[in-house]
Amino acid sequence: MNRKFKSIYIHPAICLLSILFATVNLKAQTTTDSTAADSVLLKQIEAQMQAAPAEKPSGTQTRSSLSFNPDIGVIGDFQGSYISKGEKNFDMYLNETEISLQAVVDPYARADFFLSFGRNPETGKYGATVEEGYLTTLSLPAKLQLKAGKFREAVGRINPTHPHALPFIDLPNAYVNLFGEEGLNDEGVSLSWLIPNKAFYQEVIVQTTSGFSESPAFARSEGNHFVYLGHLKNFFTLSDNATLELGITGISGPNDSVRITNIAAGDLTYKWKPVAMNTYKSLTWQSEFYFSHNNQTANISTNAIGLYSFLQYQLAKRTFLTGRYDFAEKPYNSSIKEQAYSLTWGWYATEFSKMEVEAKTTDDNIGSRFYQAWLRWIFVIGAHGAHQY
Amino acid sequence: MKRVSIITLFAFIFFYANAGAIKVVTTLTDLRSITELIGGDKVSVTSIATGYQNPHFVDPKPSYIISLSNADMFVTVGLDLETGWSPQLLSSSRNTKIQKGSAGYVDASDGVGLLQVPTAANRGEGDIHIFGNPHYWLDPLNGKVIARNIANGLERVDPSNKAMYESNLQIFYKNIDDKLKEWQAKMAPFKGAKIIAYHNEWVYFEKRFGLQIVDFMEPKPGIPPTPSQLVKVINEVKPNGIKVIISSPYFATSSSDVVAKQTGVKVLTMATSTGAFPSVKNYFDVFDYDINQLTAALK
Repeated sequence: MNRKFKSIYIHPAICLLSILFATVNLKAQTTTDSTAADSVLLKQIEAQMQAAPAEKPSGTQTRSSLSFNPDIGVIGDFQGSYISKGEKNFDMYLNETEISLQAVVDPYARADFFLSFGRNPETGKYGATVEEGYLTTLSLPAKLQLKAGKFREAVGRINPTHPHALPFIDLPNAYVNLFGEEGLNDEGVSLSWLIPNKAFYQEVIVQTTSGFSESPAFARSEGNHFVYLGHLKNFFTLSDNATLELGITGISGPNDSVRITNIAAGDLTYKWKPVAMNTYKSLTWQSEFYFSHNNQTANISTNAIGLYSFLQYQLAKRTFLTGRYDFAEKPYNSSIKEQAYSLTWGWYATEFSKMEVEAKTTDDNIGSRFYQAWLRWIFVIGAHGAHQY
Repeated sequence: MKRVSIITLFAFIFFYANAGAIKVVTTLTDLRSITELIGGDKVSVTSIATGYQNPHFVDPKPSYIISLSNADMFVTVGLDLETGWSPQLLSSSRNTKIQKGSAGYVDASDGVGLLQVPTAANRGEGDIHIFGNPHYWLDPLNGKVIARNIANGLERVDPSNKAMYESNLQIFYKNIDDKLKEWQAKMAPFKGAKIIAYHNEWVYFEKRFGLQIVDFMEPKPGIPPTPSQLVKVINEVKPNGIKVIISSPYFATSSSDVVAKQTGVKVLTMATSTGAFPSVKNYFDVFDYDINQLTAALK
């Protein structure tokens, strides 16, 4: 319906609304009667008020100087760890130093870079890598948004999140089995479309990447095969205090057997946060399920499943408790099954530092039960961008 | 059946009447209230935050992106108040009309005389804002600056109704001036009254109405009250003749209640924004509510 058409047919509505708004405005405007109009006090106030509206309050200051430098932040991730098996049981290390550089490029795009100085757990040596570096458009038509560069791909909830922002220190077994400790983080392009659905939020994301990250499930192809990913995100507002997110993901790409691995994933997240006291109380229940079909030869393929589910409860303004269950089959040998339980206590001192302690027990059907524990201290200096909801 | 038809008719009329309105999304409810007063029936306004939640910590729910993606204008408090949530929502909206620098982007703080602009940015001082204290809407005279900025924005995106926006702006100015006289008259007997505040968000209100905030329940902005801070506050109450601790709907009152129990001060949960309480329906109601509360407690 065009604007001209509307203007012809909405006259009665405009009249009604004008009356309605006029009534509201009248109500707002007729509250100024004062019975003390002649008092000396009021005259004094009136005298003061004559100059007041035009001038700024005394003692005010001007703005700080601005620059075109990007927002720069540095995130430190110090960890201590314990494992009940092997030769070396205790360790401590600066797990990662992440430098973020973020700014709007021009009216058409913004850029985000996350440079990581990480520690190789086997050699203990530090190396630099571009964890993410991508350009995001701000001006495509039809509610489209294009991203190009190296980025964490849109698999469910954990993969797009930087590890320091997760409510536990280790990563779920099923996730690591498929995507590795670094996650599915690859070079390519991503196109997302905000579906014009006014009832609830829906976003479709399609991504094509090179496979360079060489996660356990995928490998960089010597030929022209890429990793393809599609994700549908559905977000429902159940009430002012509760939301539900349901996502489905499909991924297909070359594996290290020079064949194709297909993965289907689903994620479900329920959050409860009372609006008025959202810094004091919250509860999150989040689960992801993965199914992988790995073609190893022309005749041999392996199906494997994995899942995790965690419940996080905010005990107090700065204290969180998270319990997680993991189940995973090895994608190349589904007869190997793992089950794990973990509990993480987190103390979020401020927006810029938090301390967490996690204990985990793991069983699998080829070895004996073993235990792990971690201590993590995350700290941020400089700018710190918002995290996803 | 007849009633259903009438409701359907009104719903139809309302839908199409609003379909032609300028769609505005504001971060806070006070900006929504002022936009409604300036824009009248030419605007359809929604606010992301409610009036009873902490504006620093609004969760950037994807559902907010729906309204932002269709908005003609976006109004923000600015000064980094919403830095933890609104930039992410804006860039996800895919709406070029409301990006920073576009005609539909309104920073309501433009031209506001800022207080507490730090000379050095040091997070050791707590959650400070490098551009100055961002709670400027709690001075009604700053409401006039906000209204001017909003009118400017509406005139950029809808120049055909400029005369109406200017007319409403003048009415808003007059109403603020008239109400301010009333509010200041009510507060005049309590000029210089010393109070405690939970969080450093009342400096503009304090300055406008002649109060003196002696200390805060938070030892530093954003840091929850500590036992030593409570002892410090308790020891300040009697020597300073403090009668009131003012707080906000989104802060727990347990620590303030401890001080109240020890000293006999009253704990007031004030309205920091439109919609903080059911009776606070617009920007003017914020000051009516707070001043009535304060004057009753300070007597």
